[in-house]
Amino acid sequence: MIDRRLFTNFDWTLLVLVFLISAMGIVNIYSASASYTLVGAPYYLKQFYWIVAGMFLVMLACSVDYHLLEDIAYWFYGVLCVVLVAVLLMGKTSMGATRWLHLGFFSIQPSEPMKVVMIMTLARFLSRYPVVDGLTVRDLVYPLLFVGGPAILIMKQPDLGTAIVIILIACSMIAYAGVRVATLIACLAATVPAIYLGWHYYLRDYQKNRILNFLNPERDPLGSGYHIIQSKIAVGSGGIFGKGFTHGTQTQLRFLPEQHTDFAFSVFGEEWGFIGCLTLLLLYLFLIFWGLHIAGRCNDRFGSLMAVGVTAMLFWHTIINIGMVIGVFPVVGVPLPLFSYGGTSMITSMIGVGVLLNISMRRFMF
Amino acid sequence: MRYDAEKWITLRIRFIGGFFVLLFALTFCRAFYLQVIKRDYLLKLADRQHQKIIPLTPVRGTIYDANGAALAVSVEMDSCYAEPKSMEDLGSASAQLAPVLGMPKESILKKLQGNKNFVWLQRRLTPDVVKRIRDLDLEGIGFVKETKRFYPNSEVAAHVIGFTGLDPEGLEGVERRYDSTILGGTGYLVTERDALGRNVALKGTVIQNGAMGHNVTLTLDKNIQYIAEKELAQAVEKSGARAGTALVMDPHTGKVLAMANYPTFNLNSHASYSPQVWRNRAVADSYEPGSTFKTFLIAAALEEKVIRPGDGINCEGGSYAIGGRTIHDTHKYGRLSIADVLKYSSNIGAAKIGSRLGPSRLYTYLKNFGIGDRSGVDLPGEVGGSLRPWSQWYGIDLATISFGQGVTTSSLQLASAVSAIANGGVLMKPYLVEKITDSEGNVVTSFEPQVRRRVISPETAKTVSRMMEGVAAEGGTGTNASVEGYRVAGKTGTAQKVDPVTHGYSATKRTASFIGFVPADRPRITILVVIDEPKTSPYGGVVAAPAFSSIALQTLCYLKVPPDTVVRSKPKAVEAKANPEAVEAAEGAIVEEGEGIVMPNFRGMSMRQTLKVMEEKGLNVRLHGSGRAIEQSPLPGHRIKPSDQVWVKFAPTA
Repeated sequence: MIDRRLFTNFDWTLLVLVFLISAMGIVNIYSASASYTLVGAPYYLKQFYWIVAGMFLVMLACSVDYHLLEDIAYWFYGVLCVVLVAVLLMGKTSMGATRWLHLGFFSIQPSEPMKVVMIMTLARFLSRYPVVDGLTVRDLVYPLLFVGGPAILIMKQPDLGTAIVIILIACSMIAYAGVRVATLIACLAATVPAIYLGWHYYLRDYQKNRILNFLNPERDPLGSGYHIIQSKIAVGSGGIFGKGFTHGTQTQLRFLPEQHTDFAFSVFGEEWGFIGCLTLLLLYLFLIFWGLHIAGRCNDRFGSLMAVGVTAMLFWHTIINIGMVIGVFPVVGVPLPLFSYGGTSMITSMIGVGVLLNISMRRFMF
Repeated sequence: MRYDAEKWITLRIRFIGGFFVLLFALTFCRAFYLQVIKRDYLLKLADRQHQKIIPLTPVRGTIYDANGAALAVSVEMDSCYAEPKSMEDLGSASAQLAPVLGMPKESILKKLQGNKNFVWLQRRLTPDVVKRIRDLDLEGIGFVKETKRFYPNSEVAAHVIGFTGLDPEGLEGVERRYDSTILGGTGYLVTERDALGRNVALKGTVIQNGAMGHNVTLTLDKNIQYIAEKELAQAVEKSGARAGTALVMDPHTGKVLAMANYPTFNLNSHASYSPQVWRNRAVADSYEPGSTFKTFLIAAALEEKVIRPGDGINCEGGSYAIGGRTIHDTHKYGRLSIADVLKYSSNIGAAKIGSRLGPSRLYTYLKNFGIGDRSGVDLPGEVGGSLRPWSQWYGIDLATISFGQGVTTSSLQLASAVSAIANGGVLMKPYLVEKITDSEGNVVTSFEPQVRRRVISPETAKTVSRMMEGVAAEGGTGTNASVEGYRVAGKTGTAQKVDPVTHGYSATKRTASFIGFVPADRPRITILVVIDEPKTSPYGGVVAAPAFSSIALQTLCYLKVPPDTVVRSKPKAVEAKANPEAVEAAEGAIVEEGEGIVMPNFRGMSMRQTLKVMEEKGLNVRLHGSGRAIEQSPLPGHRIKPSDQVWVKFAPTA
C-alpha cells in the first residue's frame, strides 16, 4: 500500500544531485571514449541505458518499505557468501582476477551487491545489539566476523579495492554505532601488526607493487607507475580552466589508462580544469552531507545505520577513486560512483541511492 | 535517556561528517596543487609526450637588384612525408611510390622501416609529382609546404648572388655573406602522436611558421650586369681564353654595379657545375696586374712631385739594365713624356719613375690605393693580394713592381684603386648591398658609401686621368677601348703569369686587362675587364679593351649619360684595326729570365763586408743576426729568381 505521504516527503534534492552527477558522467564519458574505435553502441549511450535501468531500481528500492530489508538481510548475506565461494571455485577469470560468475545467459560480480548487503546486515546487527556507553572490543567480535569472511573471500579473487571499501563501510557504521575510546585505541593498535602480517603473508606481488609504486611512481614509469604518472600529468596539465570539452590531449591521444572507467575523473580534470574538479567535488560533498542528514533525521536505528552505511559506501568510493586519480591513494580498481562508465557500479550506486530515498521519504512513518 | 542517545547520535554524525570533509579538503588541496601550482611543469610533460616537432625549412628573404628586380626568391613547394606507423602495407606503398618519386623501391622501404614515426620521403616536389602522389591515396602520406630557392635569372650575377644548399644555408655569394639576415626563423610542423606513437596527422597537425627572413637589395643593376656578362662572354670566347672577369663600379660611391665572371653557371642547377666555376674570381682570385699598375705609380710620383707632368724620361731605346737584369720595351722609345710613358706603356719609363720615387714611398702609395689589403667588400672569400713590405723588395723588385709585376691584386682592388683616381683621389670601400628590408618592406639597415682614405689630391687625380685619356686615344695601347662620343680614361694591362711549376714567369700565359672610367672628365662608371690566358693575342689592348668599350657604351646609354662630343661618323672599330701594330708594339715581354744576379758567397764574411758586396752588386739582402755570415739563401753561385727570398744569417763567433 503506497501512502500519499510518500510523495509529499519525496526527497527531490537527493534525486537532483544524483541526476546532475550522472549527467556530468555521461558528458565526460562521451569525451573519454571519443577516440575509441567502436564496436557496437557508444559508451555514453550504454551508460545512459544503465542510468535508466538504475532509476528503475531506485523506484523499485523505494517502493518497498525498507524495514522489509531488516528481515531478509541475513538471508541475502548467507546467499551471497555462498556465491562468493562459488566464484573462487568456478568463476570466470579475466585480467588475472576471478570476479565473475557465469549464470547461463548472464554473469554477475557478487562482490558488488555484497557492499549493499553488508550494509543491511551490519545495520540489522548493530541496531539490535544493546549498546551501553559504546561498543567494547568483545562487542566487535560478531561484526568483525560478518565483515571479515566476505572481505577475505573478495581479496582472494583478488579485488583489493572492493574489499577495502567493504571494510571501510563497516568501520564507518561501527563508528556511528558508537565505540568506546579504549576500543578505538585497541583497534588502532591492532592495525600495525595486521598491516605487517597482511604485507608479508597476504598481499600479492602486483598489489604490493601498486602500493610501492604509489609511494614512488618513478619506480616503474612504464609499468604500474605509468597510471599514476599519466593521470597526474593529465589532471595537472588541465590547469585552472581546463583544455576544453573533447580537447584534452592526454585523453584524446589515449595516454590515460582506463579513461572511461576508473580514470574518468582525470579526463574530467584535464578538460574542465580545477574549476570543473571543484564543482564535481562539491556535488559529491553535498551528496555525502545529504546522506548523513538523512541518517540524522531518521527515527529508527536500523534506517539511520543503513543511511550512514550507504553514505559511507558512496563516500569511500569517491574519495578512493579521486585520491587514486590525483595520486594521494594507491591505484586500486575502484570506480567513481555514478560518474565512471560501468553497469555494475551504476546498479550498486543506484540501489544505494534508492535505499537512501526510501529512508528519507519514510522518516515520518513511525 | 532517549534525548541523551539522540544527542550522541547527532554528535557522532557530525564527527563522521567532519572526518569526511577533512578527506575532501585534502582532495581539494591536491587538485589545486596539481592543476594550479604544478600546472606548467605537467603541461610541459604532457606536450613532450604527445607532440612531435619536425623543423621545416626556414623561409629566406628575397634578393633584389638596385631597381627592385628579384634575383633570388623563395618559392613554396610541397614536401612529402610518411608516417610509417599509420601506414598499412609498407611494401605495396613503397612499390607504388617508387616510380612517382623516381627512387628505388628498396630505398623507400628502408626509410619506412626505420624505427621512426616521421620520415621525409622527398622534399620540395613539383606540383605534378605532388598530384600523382595524392592520386595514389595512401594512408600515412602527407604534405607540408616548404620553400625552395629559385633564381629567376638563372645565370645573371650567379657569382654575386651565390646559392643555398638543400638545408637552406647560404653557400656562396651574398646568400652566404648575408645568410643570417636572409634566413628566416625555423618553422615547425607539430604533429600530435598518441600513446602508441602514431602520428595523428589529420587531427593535430599545426604549422608554426618561423619569422620571415629579411630582404637584401643589392647595388647591382641587373641590366648593367647583363651587359657586362654578355660582353665578357664574347671577349673570352673570341680570344679563346680560359676565363674572364668584368667589373662595373660607381667610382664616387664604391657601389658595385656589375660583377661578372666567365665561365658562369646556372644558379638553379649549380650542383651540376664544377665548384671551380662557382668561384667569384673578381674577389677570390689575385693575379699580377701588369701595366695597369703604372697609373698608380705615376699618380704617386706626381703627388710626391718627383716628376712633373711635363718631364721627359729617357727610355733607353727599349732595353735597360738594372739590378743585373735587362728590362725591355717591345717598341724602342727614346725620350717620352710622362703621359706617353702611360700611353705607350713603357716599362723602362715606369722603372725609372719608380726608382725616382723610391721603394718606401711607392709602397705607401700602393697601400693607400688599397693594394695588398682586403677591400672589405661584403662578399665571402675575398683575397687581399700580396704586396711585400718595401723592406723585403730585393734586386729589381722596385722596378718590376713599378710596372705591376711581383705584386698581385684582385680585380675588385684594382677597380677600387682606379676609382680613386676617377673620383678625385678618394679610396672608397666597394660594396654590394644597398639596404636590408624586413618582410613588410621597412628598411632595417641601409648602407652608405664609406670613404677609406684620401690617396692623392684632386689635382693629381685630374692630371693622371688626363694622361689616361691618351691610352685610349689614337696611337695608344688602348685605342680599342674608345667609346664613340665619350672621352675614355683607361689603361691596358698585360702581365706574364707566374708558372706554378718553375716559379718563374711563363713564356706564353698572360693576363690581359683593361681598366678605365668614362666619361673621363666626369666619371660615372669605372670598368675593369680581365681576360685570363687569352690565346689569340696576349695584349689587354686587343682582347680586353673592346669589351671595355662595349660595356661602357651600353652602360652609358642605359644610364642616359649625355655624350661629350657629337658622335663621329667613322666607326671606331675600323680605326682601331687600322693600327694593330701600335697596340702590339707597345706591350711585350718585359723582364728577361735567366739574367738574374748570381748570388755571391757571403759565408764567413762580417756584416760590414757583406754590405760592401751588396752595394757593389746592387743587391738588397735581408740580414739576420750579427757576427759572421753562416748561412745564406740562395746558395752561392745560384741565380736569384724574382720569387726567391734573399737572406744571409749571421752568428757571433766564439
